[in-house]
Amino acid sequence: MKIRKLLLLFGSILLFAAVFVFDATMKSLDADLGSFYIIRGIVIIIAFILITLYIEMGWKESQPTMIQRIGRVAAWAGLFVGLSVIISVLRVGDFETRAFRLFPRDYITILFSAVLSIAGGIVAAITILNIKDMLLYKRKKGTSRNFWILMIFFFLASAATIDLRPLEPSVYTTVFFVLSVVMIIVNSFRLSWIAYLSRREKIYGMVYALLAFFAFMAINILLSISDKPFLSNALLYFSYPLHSFVQLTSLFGAVYFGMAFISTLFHLPTAEAFDRKQTELSSLHNLSRLITQVFDLDELAGTVIKMTFEVCEASSSWLEIFPNEAEGKTGHGETGIVSQQNISTEEIQTILFGDPLSIRSLVFSSKKVLLIDDARNDRRTKYMTKLKKVGSLLVVPLISHQNIIGILYATKEMDFGFDQDDIEVLSGFADQVTIAIENATLIQRSLEKERLQRELMLAQEMQKRLLPQNLPTFPNVDMRAVSAPALEVGGDYYDIAMLDDRRVGIVIGDVSGKGVGAAFYMAEMKGIFQSLSKLSFSPKNFLVKANESLFSSIDKHSFISLIYAILDVATGELVLSRAGHCPMLYATPSSIEYIKPSGMGLGLSTGVKFENSLEEKRIMMQQGDVCVFYTDGVTESRSASGEEFGYERLVQVVEEHRHRSAEEIKEEIIQRVWSYTDAHGYDDDLTIFVVKWNGISH
Amino acid sequence: MNEFKISFRENGKIHVMELRGYLDAHTAPNLEEAFQKLIKEKKFHILVNCKDLAYISSAGLGVFMAFIEDIRAGGGDIKMSNMSPKVFNIFDLLGFPMLYEIFTDEHDAVKKFDAKKQATK
Repeated sequence: MKIRKLLLLFGSILLFAAVFVFDATMKSLDADLGSFYIIRGIVIIIAFILITLYIEMGWKESQPTMIQRIGRVAAWAGLFVGLSVIISVLRVGDFETRAFRLFPRDYITILFSAVLSIAGGIVAAITILNIKDMLLYKRKKGTSRNFWILMIFFFLASAATIDLRPLEPSVYTTVFFVLSVVMIIVNSFRLSWIAYLSRREKIYGMVYALLAFFAFMAINILLSISDKPFLSNALLYFSYPLHSFVQLTSLFGAVYFGMAFISTLFHLPTAEAFDRKQTELSSLHNLSRLITQVFDLDELAGTVIKMTFEVCEASSSWLEIFPNEAEGKTGHGETGIVSQQNISTEEIQTILFGDPLSIRSLVFSSKKVLLIDDARNDRRTKYMTKLKKVGSLLVVPLISHQNIIGILYATKEMDFGFDQDDIEVLSGFADQVTIAIENATLIQRSLEKERLQRELMLAQEMQKRLLPQNLPTFPNVDMRAVSAPALEVGGDYYDIAMLDDRRVGIVIGDVSGKGVGAAFYMAEMKGIFQSLSKLSFSPKNFLVKANESLFSSIDKHSFISLIYAILDVATGELVLSRAGHCPMLYATPSSIEYIKPSGMGLGLSTGVKFENSLEEKRIMMQQGDVCVFYTDGVTESRSASGEEFGYERLVQVVEEHRHRSAEEIKEEIIQRVWSYTDAHGYDDDLTIFVVKWNGISH
Repeated sequence: MNEFKISFRENGKIHVMELRGYLDAHTAPNLEEAFQKLIKEKKFHILVNCKDLAYISSAGLGVFMAFIEDIRAGGGDIKMSNMSPKVFNIFDLLGFPMLYEIFTDEHDAVKKFDAKKQATK
């Protein structure tokens, strides 16, 4: 890329140098080699094509704005005019005219005419390249075509003069010249870039376009007046085609920038409205981008207030947001100011609460935008007339699901300061903020949900660890337990403790309710069991003491059902008490029955009432006897039709399998329950504890 | 989802709540609301007719425990009647008959309330 650029530059310099040497030689020989002039003309054209390509390559690297383009063209054209005027005034060169031919007076003339001509060619190239980009901005179907037709006519008008002697008129040149002028006019209507300029840019653009217009007019006049000044002669001497090209280009530039000037002038009155729309659009765009990125309401509110200022040119603005739903419904709450600008909190208080029928309460009852055009004289705002700075006032409610969740306010010192556009823009802002608030709320909620889920997992984990990991083994007795927690955290609990060297305490219970609360009570129950069970060999005593310690801490609507049995592993004696729990199922090889000593659940009552409700039962287990403890998850399991598993089915399955091991009995029960509930599943925990007495070993 | 419904009516001076369907952890808040409403209106003589109550879970039982103190402190009571054997069994297992008066028939319960009122007069 770099090398190509350098080649282009050096190529053109080389060609220009060759032309200069040729001219100087001609001058010194005072010769006239007619046919060589065509070759010289072609060489000059090639040199200019190279230099144009060189400029265009440099162009693509920068992306100037339209205003910069006009400014550049005006500057180059102006410099060129200045240069030629200085050279003309200094009279450093002159020509003699003989038979349609120009003869330079001296070598300096040759040099200066070459310099001026090359400069003119470069200015023309820069002008064409810039105007091309302006023409093709937002191009339509014929735009590009029109431009290239113009270029072809330029080229033909210029090339037609290649074999002419300077000053020699030609029909072809005139025809192409006229066609070029027509295309210049056609192309000069392509000014679509003006519409997208801001007001400020338009003013700059007008100044630059006017300067460019004058510069090109000057070039054009210098090139075409009949009493040829030095510039015109210099170009004609150097290259007749170049003279035509520069002249056409300056004409194009003058017409195009003249049109641009007039067009911009007419666009100026609407520039403000256009600017405003542009600001609104970009504000809304910024806002919606902010909503997806920012969940910080304060930041969002600040941005909205800032934008309200920019777009509506408000003199003060503030935003209220009501985090509390109930407050949002009535409007009788504290202010929810989250952002304010150019107004003090006291002033806002006056506006919001200065009167029971304040504009705030009006908006709360109507749920519509409220516009006060003349605040100083409006009866609705009479109460705030002491606030001299409020001339007009716009109040926009933020409405979500029929509720007002916030209010956006803007004021102006002027009365009748707000127009329909302001109402629409502020309503748009209000909608965006509403969405942002809703987003933030939703995220808050899902975070909350996640937190709860984590908590539940933790409770589940804790619950698992509260249950005994292993049951102790004894030669005479076979014990097996299982606890299958429901999907949620359940309240089932079982435990076992050695009370002394031969007595084992077995407890199974169910905490009312589910979730973290149940897990908490279960943990408490475990503490109570592990510490109190060793103090007494009477299940009833234990339950009374457990109830005492539990009653003060458990909340009113919670309770724990429990069954507590103490088994003497040496003798097979089983003593049990029941506190509101499911009865124990007791199966001997020949009989099966539920053992249900009376007793109410822990935490339901206290003192004598609780103690008197309790009974103690005593059983001497014989070889092959089975005790089944369980929670209501077993009996209350439901089939697909909604029928409970019940006590009868439990009896049946134990009756069928009582001769088998504790492990097998436990498995059979669980399988029966699961196949009964089938795909319906169970929504409660399920715990089974089986004790089988194998007889006293000797 | 199993349905649960509460309907209110008056039997003389007694406020009768009829429970219908499944009373579990999901529906217990409805019963809580019902009790709160009655207590707010100072209607302390409450009879819960369980004729159409199909099931009650521990969460449902807990609701009765939550309000009984306030109601008794207000000079009233919660009595229950017309339970199916299955539902009675649940109440019975937990020892509710030792805490609440449970009647087979609503009429008996109302009579008991009235007798109590007579006695206090």
